[in-house]
Amino acid sequence: MRYFLISICLFLVGCTSYPKKLGFKEIETINEVVGNPYFSDVSKDYVYKAKIDVYDKTFGGIFIVKKIAEANHRVVFTTEMGSKIFDFTFYNNDFKVNYILAEMDKKILINILEKDFRVLVRENGTILNISVKESTTLFETEIVKKKYFYAFKNDQLNSISRVKMGKEKVQFIFSDINAITAKNIQILHHNIKLTIKLKSIN
Amino acid sequence: MRNILYLFFLMVVTVHSQEKMTTAEATVLKEKVKAQAELTTTITSDFVQYKHLDFLTNDIITKGDLAFKTPNMVKWSYVDPFVYSVIFKDENLYINDEGQKSDVNLSSSKLFKQLNKLIVNSVKGDMFDDNEFEINYFKIADNSDVHFTPINKKIAKYIKAFHIQFNSKGDVVEIKMIEPSDDYTRIVFSNRFLNKTVSDAVFSH
Repeated sequence: MRYFLISICLFLVGCTSYPKKLGFKEIETINEVVGNPYFSDVSKDYVYKAKIDVYDKTFGGIFIVKKIAEANHRVVFTTEMGSKIFDFTFYNNDFKVNYILAEMDKKILINILEKDFRVLVRENGTILNISVKESTTLFETEIVKKKYFYAFKNDQLNSISRVKMGKEKVQFIFSDINAITAKNIQILHHNIKLTIKLKSIN
Repeated sequence: MRNILYLFFLMVVTVHSQEKMTTAEATVLKEKVKAQAELTTTITSDFVQYKHLDFLTNDIITKGDLAFKTPNMVKWSYVDPFVYSVIFKDENLYINDEGQKSDVNLSSSKLFKQLNKLIVNSVKGDMFDDNEFEINYFKIADNSDVHFTPINKKIAKYIKAFHIQFNSKGDVVEIKMIEPSDDYTRIVFSNRFLNKTVSDAVFSH
């Protein structure tokens, strides 16, 4: 019986929402959207030097994002010498692989990359909950049935976290922000050994 | 009517800007480049790389320098807008990415060895192998433009064609690597010197 009670307690603690866990206080939600402005300019070519650490391997390249039209982005990764490694199209909720190097053509890998880059290029999401702590506001939203929290400080988007069972699975950290461009972006996976670091070069 | 004539004249000029070489002219060029490549022990050069992706507003421009030493060592260094170098030596690639060093052994992959060989050969311009490429020769003003289309289907999956421009001396001034999607990487050389002393230390990792 004692073990049962302990289990119940642990279960209830586990169910505490992610914002509450971090000491945030929920506030009333009105029907609004939360936005990510960092890949929203159609006139701009977004070009980053990328470093990818996957398990014990590190490789680099050039990461390119272009907004083609509303809710339509191209995401391309090439080597420094210009050879294409992958080329994806995001269009609303659709996703298309235009090209991927045969050696990387693995469904599991493509799924991870699709999920990560969809978060980067997604411009608006309906707010499900809002919570605040000091000068930081957390906006809860959903992207393809996964729960995400957008953290804003002084009206600036600093991070996006994918959360499952109250735990961060993936973090997108934006820094060195200049108007609507994030010069540095880090994508940190906490459940697999994968880190993507992007540094703007244009 | 005058406009139509003018338009026709423009079209003729455009078509003629890249004129096909005669067989005799092509043979002269081929021999000149081969002779030059045989006498070349080192190459040093600056370069500007233009990565063209059809959907981008502007090409991505990166700059750096290149060193080649016989028999087959090439160092490709980028200095702007990032610092990165790759050395092609023996059957390895040695990478220095802003101070972080790594290497890749190509000996297990026949395909990567072939691609590697192509990059080394394209630096010298000596790719005149009719068994490996369908080769077409053109003239652009005083320069020659040679289009090398890989015959090997596995290579063709990565590179649709190499276009190499030679100056009147038979030295490479520009390389364009075209992908199957028609996106391309164009490399324009400047301050290119042949047979200057280049120390082996340049190619140490």
